[in-house]
Amino acid sequence: MSPLRRALVWGIPFLVWAVLPFVATRHVVDLLVFAGLYSIAGLGVAFLLGQCGIVSLAQSVFYGIGAYCTAWFCLHKGLPSPVGVAAGIALSTGIAALVGWPILRLSGHFLALATLALGIIGQVLFLEWDWITGGTLGIGGIPRIAPFGFAFDTPLRFYFLVWPIALLLLVLHHNLLHSRNGLALRAMRDSPEAAAVLGMDIHKLKVQMFVLSAALGSVAGSLFAHYVTFVSVDSFAIDRAISFLLLAVLGGVYTVWGPVLGALFITVLPQWLSRLGDIHAFVFAAALIAAVILLPEGFGGAIRNWWRARLAK
Amino acid sequence: METADTFLQVAKVSHSFGGLHVLRGVDFSVPAGSLTGLIGPNGAGKSTLFNIISGFLLPQRGTVRFDGRDITREQVQTRTRAGLIRTFQTPKVFGKLTVRENLMIGCYRHLASGVVGNMVRSSRSRAEMELMQAQAAEAGERFGLSAVMERPAGQVTAGMQRLVELARGYVSRPRLLMLDEPSSGLNSTEIGQLRELLQRLNREGITILLVSHDMQLVDVATRVHVLCFGSIIASGAMAQIKQDERVRQAYLGV
Repeated sequence: MSPLRRALVWGIPFLVWAVLPFVATRHVVDLLVFAGLYSIAGLGVAFLLGQCGIVSLAQSVFYGIGAYCTAWFCLHKGLPSPVGVAAGIALSTGIAALVGWPILRLSGHFLALATLALGIIGQVLFLEWDWITGGTLGIGGIPRIAPFGFAFDTPLRFYFLVWPIALLLLVLHHNLLHSRNGLALRAMRDSPEAAAVLGMDIHKLKVQMFVLSAALGSVAGSLFAHYVTFVSVDSFAIDRAISFLLLAVLGGVYTVWGPVLGALFITVLPQWLSRLGDIHAFVFAAALIAAVILLPEGFGGAIRNWWRARLAK
Repeated sequence: METADTFLQVAKVSHSFGGLHVLRGVDFSVPAGSLTGLIGPNGAGKSTLFNIISGFLLPQRGTVRFDGRDITREQVQTRTRAGLIRTFQTPKVFGKLTVRENLMIGCYRHLASGVVGNMVRSSRSRAEMELMQAQAAEAGERFGLSAVMERPAGQVTAGMQRLVELARGYVSRPRLLMLDEPSSGLNSTEIGQLRELLQRLNREGITILLVSHDMQLVDVATRVHVLCFGSIIASGAMAQIKQDERVRQAYLGV
């Protein structure tokens, strides 16, 4: 690629990203913030599925843990937001390691069911432990992230917080994918026996990836709590876990940036279609089905394949 | 018959599947630096024995010692870390990875960078990537794979896949390389090349245990054990084995 083309390939998306929130309505920017949050949580799910073949329906739990930790430490304890984020990561990864160690001995459908069980248990505990989560009434008044007195208190401001964080996490995962661990993950997916023969501890790698995925869920949850300033159990139900999985599959689990496209699809498209009136849900469902059938590797995979074919010419 | 230079020692190993006694107190050893063959007709128990040595199967009785250590119950990857590397009868390459990536990952057991270090591209992480690249390039050249380095390993010919698996094993710098029927699916020219390759690797200091029923290939072994109906019925140099009455009856059919 020539320097000019490289500049265009990177520069145009960046310009669109930078200018978009200033020309879009506040409502659209709000949706884009959610797309950023979902990209982070969905990246964790996509990485697990694409690189380890693990279907996770437990991401809503870690999303919830991040949000409640932020609510607890920043609202009740009055501590700064990094403490809430760090506490969420610590608790989520701890639970992911403890639970992941036994359940990641399972595989395929059994493992998916185990993560579903985890998601349901999380939802029930969030509801029942209302002394800490506020149950269905929720917790309101969570403080904004406000470093040095600058509060990220509008969709526009939060947009410029959440997306750089998402980008940073994407880059970190990209690096991971192109390292010894990333190669090992892809290798063990192709042939677990040969991977073991080369000295890979498959189970340990899977647990590490599950823990990493939980950390992403938690970070997204903490940011979510700071953004909406109100959290209730409804945000961390199993349907949230399903939407994370859905955006991962739609976006494509074999590319690191696929989940971003998936997140944009599931946040922006339904809103955009709602102007069609009552049938918008059907149209969205039809679009979903079409996307899954026509693009088995998701948007990310389709774009990557198209790009590779172009380069090959 | 354990001696000072015994590298791999299989002692009194027995195994049965249901009522079928596949291995009956097998004893044999592989001296350090040797190119040892294990032959036997189909159903003799070679694969079972191979799986027991490499850790894919736990024997019901007996022990496997490697470099003086009892590894009978150790996990596959623990054996790998000690330097015991195997190949498979049907080559198990990482099909979606390129040939180059297959060779790169061969280094795995010598690398130690962690997940977080790799995410932030620590200096160790970068150094490891360079090492992997260099070793893959060297092995690719050596095993005649340079032309197919960028192709997905699952899309090269069966003979090439066998070479990829072998080269990947070589990159891991094994102390004992165990090959399971490495000539199956190869034509006689390729078998000739494989023979030379194995001799060369052996001369460079890699101890090799070759399991095969292909006499053309096993000829390279300096010492051969014959497994028949779950027992070792003869051991010695190939020329000697060929004269053994029991072997001729049981196996060579002449």
